Amino acid sequence: MLFFRSEERVRQWCAGAGVPVRPLVRLDQLWGLAVAWYATRLRPDSRRPQPEEMRRIFAGLGLEGPFWDPRADSF
Amino acid sequence: MAVYRHFAETARRPSPEEVAARAAVPAAEVPAAYARLRAQRVLVLEDDGVSIRMAPPFSGVPTQHVAVAAGKRYFANCAWDVFGIIAAMGGTGAVESRCEQTLEPLRLPIEPGGPPASDWRFHCAVPAAHWWDDIVLT
Repeated sequence: MLFFRSEERVRQWCAGAGVPVRPLVRLDQLWGLAVAWYATRLRPDSRRPQPEEMRRIFAGLGLEGPFWDPRADSF
Repeated sequence: MAVYRHFAETARRPSPEEVAARAAVPAAEVPAAYARLRAQRVLVLEDDGVSIRMAPPFSGVPTQHVAVAAGKRYFANCAWDVFGIIAAMGGTGAVESRCEQTLEPLRLPIEPGGPPASDWRFHCAVPAAHWWDDIVLT
């Protein structure tokens, strides 16, 4: 899970590393993920989102498709 | 909670003895507690079985991702977690990292509404269903 200066830099890195280009995430979307996962992490009742909750979080941020499905077996 | 409180307050990983002291439990109970946290996917240990590698979003070892919050500098496990530390610490701070392709530094102020608009992108090579196959690689 890495940062890149632009979408073009992602494509260059993926080509060099021999990995597929996956869905690109804007920083405002990443902030939404961070808040959903971790805003309560220091509270006693904190817990990691479960698969269905993960799907809802991803969809709410516009991150949909098999890549974001925590139970998918094809990508 | 003792593990996370320690990270938040000190910006470094706790030893098993420090966890036991914070939780007011015998040190002998710490390994079983670590195993429960691992099963919940909120803790990853080093190969020695006692040192904390990851207590997401906190990293027990230095990384290229640094969150600056509450006057401290925290190492994060990845690009997602460096934002996550800021979120966990109240939503205000700064992120320091880099572009993995060019090594250009990234320095972002984070306000409660999130980071400023930017052309920077986040990329994860591993699909969500496989993140925990090898979470350190992910």
